[in-house]
Amino acid sequence: MLEVRDLHAAVDGKEILKGLTLTVKPGEVHAIMGPNGSGKSTLSNVLAGREGYEITSGEVLFEGKPVADMETEERARAGIFLAFQYPVEIPGVSNMEFLKASLEAVRAAQGKEPLDAVSLLRRAREACQQVNLDQQFLKRGVNEGFSGGEKKRNEIMQMMLLEPKLALLDETDSGLDIDALQVVAKGVNALRSPERAIVLVTHYQRLLDYIVPDHVHVLAGGKIIKSGGKELALELEQKGYGWLTGEEESA
Amino acid sequence: MTPAEQLKDSVLALASQAHRDDGLKALRKRALNQLQLLPFPEKRHEAWKYTGLNALTAGQLENAAAPLRQPADVPALGDCVILIGNGFLPEQLPALPDGLNALPLSDNEAAEVTPDTLFGWLNSASLSGGLLLKTERNRKVAGIVHVVFCNQSDAPCHASNRLQVELAEGSELTLIEHYLGSGPVLANAMTRILAGANSKLTHYRLQSESADSLHIGNLQIDQQRDSRVDSSQLMRGNVLRRNDVHVRMLESGATLAMRGVFIARDKSHIDNHINVEHVAPHCHSDQVYKGIAGEKGRAVFNGRIHIHPYAKGSDASLSNNNMLLSNEAEIDSKPELEIYNDDVKCAHGTTVGQMDAAQFFYLRSRGIDAAKAKRMLGTGFVNETLLAMQDESVREWATDWLGEAL
Repeated sequence: MLEVRDLHAAVDGKEILKGLTLTVKPGEVHAIMGPNGSGKSTLSNVLAGREGYEITSGEVLFEGKPVADMETEERARAGIFLAFQYPVEIPGVSNMEFLKASLEAVRAAQGKEPLDAVSLLRRAREACQQVNLDQQFLKRGVNEGFSGGEKKRNEIMQMMLLEPKLALLDETDSGLDIDALQVVAKGVNALRSPERAIVLVTHYQRLLDYIVPDHVHVLAGGKIIKSGGKELALELEQKGYGWLTGEEESA
Repeated sequence: MTPAEQLKDSVLALASQAHRDDGLKALRKRALNQLQLLPFPEKRHEAWKYTGLNALTAGQLENAAAPLRQPADVPALGDCVILIGNGFLPEQLPALPDGLNALPLSDNEAAEVTPDTLFGWLNSASLSGGLLLKTERNRKVAGIVHVVFCNQSDAPCHASNRLQVELAEGSELTLIEHYLGSGPVLANAMTRILAGANSKLTHYRLQSESADSLHIGNLQIDQQRDSRVDSSQLMRGNVLRRNDVHVRMLESGATLAMRGVFIARDKSHIDNHINVEHVAPHCHSDQVYKGIAGEKGRAVFNGRIHIHPYAKGSDASLSNNNMLLSNEAEIDSKPELEIYNDDVKCAHGTTVGQMDAAQFFYLRSRGIDAAKAKRMLGTGFVNETLLAMQDESVREWATDWLGEAL
C-alpha cells in the first residue's frame, strides 16, 4: 500500500529525512517511534503534502503511484488520512459544514453517492458518540476553543467518517490523559481491518499498550535505524533511545 | 484640458441637460450652482488618493440613462418591493404596509440636503425623480420594505438613484436598499436617512451589481435623540465602486450599529469611506467592517470617527479586518480618530492578513479542493458579520451571495 524508498526530504531547505525506507501492507499497523527532532513529523507532513516539505530524492508510492505528483486534496481523496499533531482551529467554519465538504469530496472521488443531510448528520452523531465528543461540537467552529484532548478526538472522529485506506496518526497520543487515550485507541482499533493500514507516529510507548502494532520502527537522524515487532517498543521503554542512537539521552 | 477638467465639463453638461420645470427645480438649480464651484476629484485629493476615476473617461458622464425597458428580476427578500429602473420612479407606487407612506421627493423635503461629494451634488442636479419614504409616528411598519434600484444599459451612461427615508418619532422600520444590474452604467446613488427621536431602523444596503458596472454612492444618516440605527452593508467590487457613508449623531442617546462586508476579486475595485460623527453626548456607535481581496482586486477602507467637543460620554468603536487571497491583491485600510473632549471611550483597530496557510492545508488534507477551501475560509472570516444581520431572508440571500462572490 505504502512504499517509501530512500526518502530524502527537506523543510525550508534543511534536510531532515536522510534515506528513509518503509513498506506498509494492507491490514498492518506500524508504529514509528523516535526521539525529538528525529524527523517523525516531517515524515507525516511529507506524506500528506504540506507546503514547504520538499522531497529532494527517493520516492513515496501510494498504491503504486508517486504521491509527489498528487496535490494534498488528491492524496486525501485517494485514501490517505493524516491525524494532525496540532489540529488547526478555523473559527467561522462549523465542524458540520467542514465534515460535509470533506465527505462530499472524498466520496465523490471514490465514486460513492453523496450522503443526504439526514444520513450525514446521523453518521456524524454516531462518530461523535464513539469518541465521547458532545454533539454540540458539530455546530461549533472547527476545533474552535476545543481542549487538546477534544481536538485529538475530533481528528479520530473525522477518520471514522472518511474511512481512509491509510491512516497516519501524528503524535495523536501526545498530551492526552489516559481516559482520552483509551477513547482514541478504541476508535483506531475499531478501524483496523484487512484492507486498511495504520501508521502511528509516537513519542511514547504508552499508546502501544492500547493499540498493538505489527511492526515497530525506530526513527533517528532522519532514517529508520531499527525495526522489529511489538517487543521492540517495550525494549525502548526500558532502555530509552540512547542505546540505539549512541547518544546520552537527557532525562 | 486635463482629463479631470474634461470630466468636470461633462458633469456640468449632464446637470444642465436635466433642467425641467417640476417639483425638483430648486434642488437641481442649487446643485448645479454647487457643481460649478467644486473641483472634479483627483488622486491628489486625500479622499480620492487610492481611487482613480479614469474609468469614467469611457463616457458614463456624457449621457443620462434612459428608462429601463424590461422589468428586472428581483429576488424576494421583503414583503413589498419598490422597483426603480435607471433612476426612474415607477408610474404607480405599490401598496405599502400600514404605517409607511411613499411619495415622490420634492424640493421641500430636499431643502436641507448637503451632499459630501461632487457626485452627491451631481445626483441632485441631474435627478429625474427620488423616492421618499415616511413612517407614521409611533408605528411599527409590519413587514420588510425592499427598495430595488436596477441600473442597466448597453452603452455608458449615468443614472441618479435617490432615496430619502424619514422615520417619525417612535416609529420602527426594516428597509432593504438593494442595487442590481449590469452594463457600463454608473449608478450615482444618494440615500438620506433621518432617524427621528426614539425611532428604530434596521437597514440593509446590498450592492450586487455585476462586475462590469460602476457605482458611486453616498449614504447619509442623521440621528436624533435616542434613535437606534442598525445598518448592514454588503458590497462586491466592480469596475469602480465608491461609497461615502456619513453618520451624524446629532442628539443624545442615539445608538448606531454598522457592519459591512466588501469583496474585491479579479480586477475589481471597491472603496469605502466612512465618517461617523458624535455631535451630541451619550451616543454609542459600533462598527465592524470586513474586507476580502483576491486575484488583482483592490479595496480601500477609510474609517473616521469624529467626537465633537460637547459629545461627552461618547462610546465609539470601529474595527476593520481584511483578508488577502492572493499576492497581487491589495487592501489599504486607514482608521482616523478625531477626539475633541476627554470623557470618551473609543476603540479602533485594523488588520490586513493573508489567508492562514495552516487552515488552508488542514481543509485540503481532508480532500477539499483549493478553490472550495479558499471559499470556506473566506466565508468563515466574514461569517460573524453575516450572522449579526437580524432578518433571516437577508441572511440567507447573503450566504448565497457570498458563496458566489468568493
